[in-house]
Amino acid sequence: MIQEHRELAVDPRFPRQTLVSVLVFCIVWEILSYLAPSLGIPAFAIPSFVRIGQSLLTITPIDVAVTLARVIGALIVSFVLGLALAMAMYSSRSLENYLHPMIRLFMAVPVVSWILFAVLWFRGVEFRIGFVLLAVCGPVFLIDSLDAMRGVPRDLRGMMRSFRPTTLQFFIKLMLPAIVPSIITSWKINLSLAIRVVTIAELVGAVTGIGHQLAVAQELFSVADVFAWTLVLVALLFLLEALVIRIESRLLRWRP
Amino acid sequence: MSSPPPIEVRQLRKVFHQATSGQAVVAIERLDIRIEPREVVAIVGQTGCGKSTFFDLMIGLEAPTEGSIVIGDKTPYGDFDHFRGQIATVFQQDRLLPWRSALDNARLPLELIGLPEEVQRERALTWLKRLGLERFIDAYPHELSGGMRQRVAIARAFVVQPNILLADEAFGHLDEVTAAELRETFLALARECGSTAILITHQLEEAIGVGNRIIVFGKSAKLLADIKVAQWPKSEHAMLREAIQMTLQSNSPDPRLARVS
Repeated sequence: MIQEHRELAVDPRFPRQTLVSVLVFCIVWEILSYLAPSLGIPAFAIPSFVRIGQSLLTITPIDVAVTLARVIGALIVSFVLGLALAMAMYSSRSLENYLHPMIRLFMAVPVVSWILFAVLWFRGVEFRIGFVLLAVCGPVFLIDSLDAMRGVPRDLRGMMRSFRPTTLQFFIKLMLPAIVPSIITSWKINLSLAIRVVTIAELVGAVTGIGHQLAVAQELFSVADVFAWTLVLVALLFLLEALVIRIESRLLRWRP
Repeated sequence: MSSPPPIEVRQLRKVFHQATSGQAVVAIERLDIRIEPREVVAIVGQTGCGKSTFFDLMIGLEAPTEGSIVIGDKTPYGDFDHFRGQIATVFQQDRLLPWRSALDNARLPLELIGLPEEVQRERALTWLKRLGLERFIDAYPHELSGGMRQRVAIARAFVVQPNILLADEAFGHLDEVTAAELRETFLALARECGSTAILITHQLEEAIGVGNRIIVFGKSAKLLADIKVAQWPKSEHAMLREAIQMTLQSNSPDPRLARVS
């Protein structure tokens, strides 16, 4: 039977508990900022919200834009390469047998090691950051996509093959739509991963971007600036996640 | 649509090797059948007798170990692309793509052939209307009942107006009334399209009700009986059913079948 009424999706993005916990944290922080000197803690270590607000006003949009561009650019390149390689590995069992152990090995390498390799191997800053992001996020996209392809029901694969599609049609009409839920999950994981990785990479060697501004704030012992830039990073992550969720609800509107 | 070619199954043999032990399992042992154009053939057999393997070989999803299936002068496995749009299947479960509407599911084979989008829509709509689904063209599979989903699957099979239609236990999971109704619709459409239809079933009533011809498979798809239903008047259908039942149970042809057919 066709369903006459669909349940309205309730999206409690700001439930009461969230607001309460954030509010309590802010109050405790503010009290601590006033009490810090009397507790023997330097005043700059716990700045008041007024001071943090002043730092927020000095945020340079160009650094936010640069970090955002690096994250999105690297994620798109990682996704395209990861997906293409996953499709090739799905099509060729021998290719998978050769590449799978290497990919697992890459995934086990710590981010800091990738950053050091990038600094030692490459001269350009953008290339170093791109390399680190690709090395960290690419394998995640690849393995998630490949696992999802392997999970596409045998019944559906048999049905599709019975209509004799070309290899490209097989992927476009069946495999890619079928793995969209896994791809979305992969994007959510990689978004937070990429923002953390790009910040560390910028911290080490960049002259622009949020990571670089965090390094400057650290050199100036400005906790308020660190707090402000961290808030921007968190807001950026939430915004990007909200965008992915919006895309997800559009792409997966067929789900009951 | 061109006239469907005859189907010749010659000394067909299919052997699988178990993944763990490597032991050989003979799914089909030296099968010979000829199916004439526009025949409606019901294939019956017990579970595990090789019906589904035969189905996969007919579609071309599996390669024969020995022997061949020849349709016209081509083989469905060796000349895989040649049969695009010529062989259509209805499976036990509807196997609709959950992210596609009824209309988009029905037009899938036309997309694969590469017809213009307007033609795809128009043709899919025609078939969905014929199957009584005009009000549900935009519905997703989860919004449809089992019978309606199977109707969409039938529309998806007929939309290419295939030469050969294959149905693997296509109505077995539905309630009796819906199954009977869909079976009738399926057969009427197959006759109208002039397609050769092969229905695999384990239900004897269904086989007797739909087929011009009933092929009875024993173990390893051994051909136990090849029955022309027209030779059995309706009054003897109960006896025919009993004779097929006995054949299946003993894995050897019941003498009553040999005598009459």
